[in-house]
Amino acid sequence: MKIIIAGAGEVGYHLASMLADEEQDIYLVDRNEDRLSYIQSKIDVFTIRGDAKSISVLNEAKIKDCDLLIAVTSNEETNFLICVLGKKLGAKRTIARFTNSEIIDFGKKQIFEEIGIDEVISPVELASKEIIRLIRQSAFTDDFEFEGGRLSVFGIALDENSLIVNKTIKESAYLNPNLTFKPIALLRGDQTIIPKGDTVLQTRDIVYFIATKESINQVLNICGKQCFPIRNIMILGGSKIGVLTAKLLQQNFNVVLIERDKQRSIALAEQLKKTLVVNADGRDVTSLEEEGIENMDAFIAATADSEMNIMSCLVAKSYGVKKTIAGVENINYINLSHNIGIDTLINKKIIAASNIFRYIRKGQVSAIANLHGVDAEIIEFVVAPGSRVTQKSIRDLDFPKEAHIAAVVRGMETFIPLGEFEIVNGDKVIVFSLTQAIHKIEKYFQ
Amino acid sequence: MSPRSGKMINAGVVVNILGTLTFINGMMMLLALPFAIIYGDKDIWAILGSASITMAAGAIMYFTTKSNTNAEIKKREGFLIVTLGWLTMSLFGTLPYMLSGAIPNFADALFETVSGFTTTGASILDNIEAQPHSILFWRSTTQWIGGMGIIVLTIAILPLLGIGGMELFVAESPGPTKDKIHPRIKETAKRLWAIYMALTLIETVMLMLCGMSFFDAINHSFATISTGGFSTKQASVAFYDSVWIEMVIILFMFLSGTNFTVLYFLLKGRKEKIENNDEFRWYVGWILILGALIVPAIVVSSGEPIGMALRQGFFQVVSIVTTTGFATADYQLWGSFATMLFFLMMFSGASAGSTSGGFKIVRIVLLIKNGLAEFKRRLHPRAVIPIMMNRSSVPSTIIDNLLAFTILYVVVFVVSILVMTALNMDFMTAMGAVATSLNNVGPGVGAVGPANSFSQIHDGAKVFLAFLMLLGRLELFTVLILFTPYLWKRY
Repeated sequence: MKIIIAGAGEVGYHLASMLADEEQDIYLVDRNEDRLSYIQSKIDVFTIRGDAKSISVLNEAKIKDCDLLIAVTSNEETNFLICVLGKKLGAKRTIARFTNSEIIDFGKKQIFEEIGIDEVISPVELASKEIIRLIRQSAFTDDFEFEGGRLSVFGIALDENSLIVNKTIKESAYLNPNLTFKPIALLRGDQTIIPKGDTVLQTRDIVYFIATKESINQVLNICGKQCFPIRNIMILGGSKIGVLTAKLLQQNFNVVLIERDKQRSIALAEQLKKTLVVNADGRDVTSLEEEGIENMDAFIAATADSEMNIMSCLVAKSYGVKKTIAGVENINYINLSHNIGIDTLINKKIIAASNIFRYIRKGQVSAIANLHGVDAEIIEFVVAPGSRVTQKSIRDLDFPKEAHIAAVVRGMETFIPLGEFEIVNGDKVIVFSLTQAIHKIEKYFQ
Repeated sequence: MSPRSGKMINAGVVVNILGTLTFINGMMMLLALPFAIIYGDKDIWAILGSASITMAAGAIMYFTTKSNTNAEIKKREGFLIVTLGWLTMSLFGTLPYMLSGAIPNFADALFETVSGFTTTGASILDNIEAQPHSILFWRSTTQWIGGMGIIVLTIAILPLLGIGGMELFVAESPGPTKDKIHPRIKETAKRLWAIYMALTLIETVMLMLCGMSFFDAINHSFATISTGGFSTKQASVAFYDSVWIEMVIILFMFLSGTNFTVLYFLLKGRKEKIENNDEFRWYVGWILILGALIVPAIVVSSGEPIGMALRQGFFQVVSIVTTTGFATADYQLWGSFATMLFFLMMFSGASAGSTSGGFKIVRIVLLIKNGLAEFKRRLHPRAVIPIMMNRSSVPSTIIDNLLAFTILYVVVFVVSILVMTALNMDFMTAMGAVATSLNNVGPGVGAVGPANSFSQIHDGAKVFLAFLMLLGRLELFTVLILFTPYLWKRY
């Protein structure tokens, strides 16, 4: 597939590197020469220096053969213009990044489609929704549902209370006699490990499990965790993400929003009717105390300053807040999160990039999800008749070792398969795969 | 990403890829086997033995480090792989010469192999026609592999080197800037090899039409397209004394000295890309100017008729500028002005991104442009004066890199002459031998001119010159960085 990415910022770079791993033909357009030569030395893409709004630059990137045009510059007007021009010049599909915090509903989407923008990706909206998803599952670092909730993939940070710490996967198998769940990946530091029988689990590992709905509590038990109800939430920072998150949460939770700027706080208080807006500086611990930080169930730091977000989450942790989420701008910080005790670090640019990545795959697979800090995806495939996976049992398939088959859904039944399991036509298969192996996996299901 | 992630240099991945390269090297040796069989040479076992030893060594290196097969190749590993890769190839490449007894002395065999792989074309053989066909074919094959580069070949044919491939590609291919002709490095490498193969095939056919035997045609074709210059005849191309053969070879030497990106766009019919290419115009101009200077010098010094002077003059100019080194005449007989011109020509080389060696015309053009801009800067200290190349400005980092490269080039040249003279070589010969090795040309001046071989020089000098050839082929930095503490220390 031929893909043109306009804008070599964090989103553009992250997206390009995910796609380059898949052997797509990528043209990356940006005005900054230094940035391009840096990227050129890192990943296998073709870089073009120039303004992607210009028709001649788009022609140089051979826009007429382009399957997908992704405009992810920092300016949304530019992104729209690039997509509109690109579509006219022959790009088959276009995606624009949208920087506003306005929610794009179906009606607006149609208007965009009419002028030539097939998909609008709003990092702010995606990040807010991500935060809310994380809040709902308080015991997990990450959680996804498949098949309408019948199967879940979720991450749990192991601590001393977990029964499975310091055991190998094989040893801990007796805790799971019915095969209703299994660990599919673990994150140790910045390393993603696909667990094998002899992998030893350690404290601070984040283990990703796949489990049926009924067995989630069982997994929580063996990991020594409990779901706790969340009622009170404190949000630090009246940024676009902070405000949108507050807006979405205020209906069901008690939300306190802390904003440093007086004028902005007044404007926000008018806008967020059910949220308590407090004009205070997040670095001032006494004012957080005054607002009852020790009674909070969750703390979300969403200021523009990554370091402040991380520090204030650590403060919140020290006051006994169980769930802390920090927004960070710097992608390299993502892997730090669990080592320093914050539950989840989120980066809106990575979220945007992985959403675009998922959009590209739409139609080929039935669902896809991306885990925080892990270079991997969870993909749901519908098995096509005669595809390679149906020909042998799982053990004999010679499935790439960067991936494995996590679960199989057959009709109303769900299976966590072992080696001798055989997949048949029409099954839905949930596969966990490192990003670079996805294109290999796809061949097994076609 | 994390500072804790592993050792500074992943030796496993280096050895793993060296294993792959060595295995490919062994398979290439088998190409000589049909000639050993057809011509009934007694060297079937030498070829088979060398190939199996090399392939076995490659397989052992590969399988003992198999866990590293898909490991990421960072800059440090990249430099190590390229330099050690060429070194390993050269060491194993001596096997066919040594086992067959064609070149029993190790220093000689190493010189001949490195001269082949680096497409230099300098030889220690004094009686080429007496060598078995299979050994001569292996000799030409080393040039053919070395011309486009073993790494580029590996990237093109094997699915590995995907992620770190760019580092290796940059470290192996010549010229100050690297152009991709396709978004993916693998596809770029494939297209380059396709052009390379096509040129080789066409030249072979054309040479056969001009009356060469298939064996001679394919050998000369290998040596032309790689700008190597090994011939199957002691007298080189002069042996055939045919205007047509010389014309064909001039044409293909010229094409091989052209940037392959330009050839690619030419095939694609994208004329604007070629019109915008400054280096190509300078390349053509440079050859014409040199020809115009040499031809009168020949007429004056040797009294040849003008037709003969044109024929010999242009063949030699193109041969030396493209660093091929085929000979139809001895330029040392054309007087000291001509000899000096040829000596200078050795340094220019042809285009970046071609198979030729030398300093590369694009670098000279950039140096001239930067030098002229310096005058302007004196008058207008605050002026912003871009150095333009191919209709866009050259980033100042490339100019800085070029200046460092130039200085290093001069230093290496001077120090090498010192080393040569210390090994009891006369000054003229030392200059010629160093220049021809460092620039991967072939014939030098003095006692190592087009009419002589390198067989008489000191064994130590042979090994040192082989090292210079490698330096030149990999453009100094890639090799010399191994001798700096920076590669081995973390900071």
